[in-house]
Amino acid sequence: MAEAKQNLLQLYRFCYLMLADTRKAQEVFHATLRDAAQRSAEGESPGDRLWFFRDARWRCLKASEQGLQAEDVDLEQAELTNWAPAQIEKLEPNQLAIWISAAPEPQRTALALFYLDEFDYRELLSLCETKPAELAKLLSDGRHQFQAWLNATMPFVEP
Amino acid sequence: MLMQCAPLSDERVTDRAMRAALHRARKNEQFAIQKSFDRAVATLVHAIPIPQEITDWVPPEAFISRPQRSWRSLAKNPAILATGIAIGVIAVIAVSHVVDRINRFPGEPTARRLLTVASSTHSMMLDPVKTDAGSLGDFFFMKHRLAHYDVPPEFADLRTLGCRVFDDEEGQRVAQVWVVEKRMQFFLFPAERDVKTGGVKHFNGWRFIDQEGWSGVVREENGVCFMASLRGRQRDLAPYVSKGKE
Repeated sequence: MAEAKQNLLQLYRFCYLMLADTRKAQEVFHATLRDAAQRSAEGESPGDRLWFFRDARWRCLKASEQGLQAEDVDLEQAELTNWAPAQIEKLEPNQLAIWISAAPEPQRTALALFYLDEFDYRELLSLCETKPAELAKLLSDGRHQFQAWLNATMPFVEP
Repeated sequence: MLMQCAPLSDERVTDRAMRAALHRARKNEQFAIQKSFDRAVATLVHAIPIPQEITDWVPPEAFISRPQRSWRSLAKNPAILATGIAIGVIAVIAVSHVVDRINRFPGEPTARRLLTVASSTHSMMLDPVKTDAGSLGDFFFMKHRLAHYDVPPEFADLRTLGCRVFDDEEGQRVAQVWVVEKRMQFFLFPAERDVKTGGVKHFNGWRFIDQEGWSGVVREENGVCFMASLRGRQRDLAPYVSKGKE
């Protein structure tokens, strides 16, 4: 069986989802890789592939402290619909990134990591530093809030 | 709860509980809607363009290796744990078979049978003879024409209570001696012979056997096996044998 590997470019996508800003995402991405390279040069190579995402997560959180902050409000939720995929198809990636980056922590991290589709359940729990029930609620609420946002911004019209 | 965290790709389902939850939910309509929703979002995520500066610096085929699993996490895996236990059990059985085979010697079945005889013998069944065990060799030869039925020097000085000669199940002449010390019983019986050649199957030194609380120590010499037996453990007999070596 081929060894499962983590595409390094997914790290950039994670940074972008967390920040919704190309420049900031690049800075965090480069800073993380530089740190990893420096550690390797010093003989302390990050043995854990999750290290890259943990490091990038904290850099993203630090970077986003300086910009606009998400308001702590209860967003409207809606039931998931059969036509949600058709609504999502019409979106641009940056619209999704803006929506995810505006979510409060740790929901933002949970959604960004979950939709990268790179981690199993245990790894998600480790990276988000949450308990199973909390992670389930974060993802479930995220889906229903995003569905409500989709319904509001691009109502589905049957062809 | 687990369904809310269900990974999009099956290859990410590494958890047993998650696998079971997915199996249960496979016909759930709400779960199917959730999956298609998640897939659509994941497709959008994968469409996030990578800036030229990034692709110039990091080639698309650059990977981060998965961490090496530690022996602790491997040991906690139920499949590996079960396999390890099974291998351990097989190893223990194999070792016990090897040890058992190493300890086997010609005449062992007869010796075991005679241990059963020893456990059921009463002193009244034997003819009273009070002498040194070592002097019974002449008695067996003169009275029963049993050549080489001699008690080894290690046990020759022990005082006897009685003795008898009888035919065992296979028609072999067996001499039985009861001694005072530790109510030990001695057996002298013909050594096992090769079926084809008829030659005696020799073995060197003393061999120990145990059976149902009785222990015996056996030696072969001149085609005759001698067994000293008592109710107890091998360590009760060991001093006599080691004394002989000295």
